[in-house]
Amino acid sequence: MADSQPFACAACRPKGLCQGKGRVTLKGGSWANNPLAVQVLGICSALAVTNRLENSLVMGAALIFVTVGSNLFVSLLRKCTPHRIRMIAEVAIISTFVIVFDQFLKAFYWDMSKQLGPYVGLIITNCIVMGRAEAFALQNPPIVSMVDGLANGLGYAAVLAIIGFFRELLGTGEIFARPLLSGEWYTPNQLMILAPGAFFTLGIVIAIFNSIKGPKPQEKK
Amino acid sequence: MKGNVYTVFYAAALGSACALLLTAAASFTAPYKKANAEAEEALNILLALKAPVDAEASAAEVLKVLGQTVQQKTRGNVAMYTYCPPDAGGKILAVAVRFSGPGLWGPVKGFLALEPDFKTIRGITFYEQEETPGLGGEIAASWFREQFVGKSIVAPDGKPGIIISKPGEQAVNKVDAISGATMTCDKVQAMLNEAIKSIVEEK
Repeated sequence: MADSQPFACAACRPKGLCQGKGRVTLKGGSWANNPLAVQVLGICSALAVTNRLENSLVMGAALIFVTVGSNLFVSLLRKCTPHRIRMIAEVAIISTFVIVFDQFLKAFYWDMSKQLGPYVGLIITNCIVMGRAEAFALQNPPIVSMVDGLANGLGYAAVLAIIGFFRELLGTGEIFARPLLSGEWYTPNQLMILAPGAFFTLGIVIAIFNSIKGPKPQEKK
Repeated sequence: MKGNVYTVFYAAALGSACALLLTAAASFTAPYKKANAEAEEALNILLALKAPVDAEASAAEVLKVLGQTVQQKTRGNVAMYTYCPPDAGGKILAVAVRFSGPGLWGPVKGFLALEPDFKTIRGITFYEQEETPGLGGEIAASWFREQFVGKSIVAPDGKPGIIISKPGEQAVNKVDAISGATMTCDKVQAMLNEAIKSIVEEK
């Protein structure tokens, strides 16, 4: 049985929890089909909150929480959800997770919540979350759906962290609000903090990502 | 094909489950959020009064400083926060009032602090606003708020009121508005003048 599942990872081999699709799903979501760098989804929030590395990380954590949770529940309910109202059901599940995270931030990380402003709530409309629920969780069992959610969340969070790192470093000369580039020889570039800086950084990240990853599969024919 | 009745019941059940979860989350976090909001308000009172307080200070610290140096008093219908630190020997160094009103997109709330003469502005803060970031949202930026410091809430002809309008003519009760945020500035001017009116009436 285990031999017929060449991609099963050690964790789920005994039970075949994710039916041997775990590693493929993980790699697909976070690398080969990275939501930001390859599918270029959800860039609105990626551009808005990445002016500081800390904000980027919290936003990434929020998305991981939401994609894992919503994928799990959409998948659990996939057989009893009436097809006609599946989308609104997905949105209801997604928004529940988003608001729970938002409430958590407001209660325990007030300053962070103020800095992220409306963008945590806007995860509800983030096409990555809805896309994964619709494209993956509706067709797959719960555990592998969670892996898919985790993979896409990680892919998003990683790109956000990269953008946040360079924007904060070049824009303020700091990392985690600690001075890194000395004021004596480095003049912070305000442009990196502003919206254009986000566009430039995201563009460069996508370009580098795609040059490492090689051409898209359909172009290989 | 699942029937309409099933669909309706499914939607109702899912909706209720989500609502229940959200209610639980909201009521669980409510006390923490209330404490955060109180600390935020306290910090803004202190900042408007230009009391020495670290903007990064913890909530408990801010509330402690507020309790030690600021007294809440009511004059007529106006609730005022008077700043009389222990080392000032009972003298009132400043007074702050809360103002609020509709902004362009949502409620705008803040504190206006005056010198003991009840005429000169000592500081202003906005602790709640949802104006357009970069335009109306600039009301919370320090460059806009610093303009108010030292201005008078009374016009040279003795009429109470402050004017927020386009840069140009100078006056003791005028500050420069924000380009591209005329609506927000007009609304802020209106709510400030309402607060100023009540201060002048109760003085």
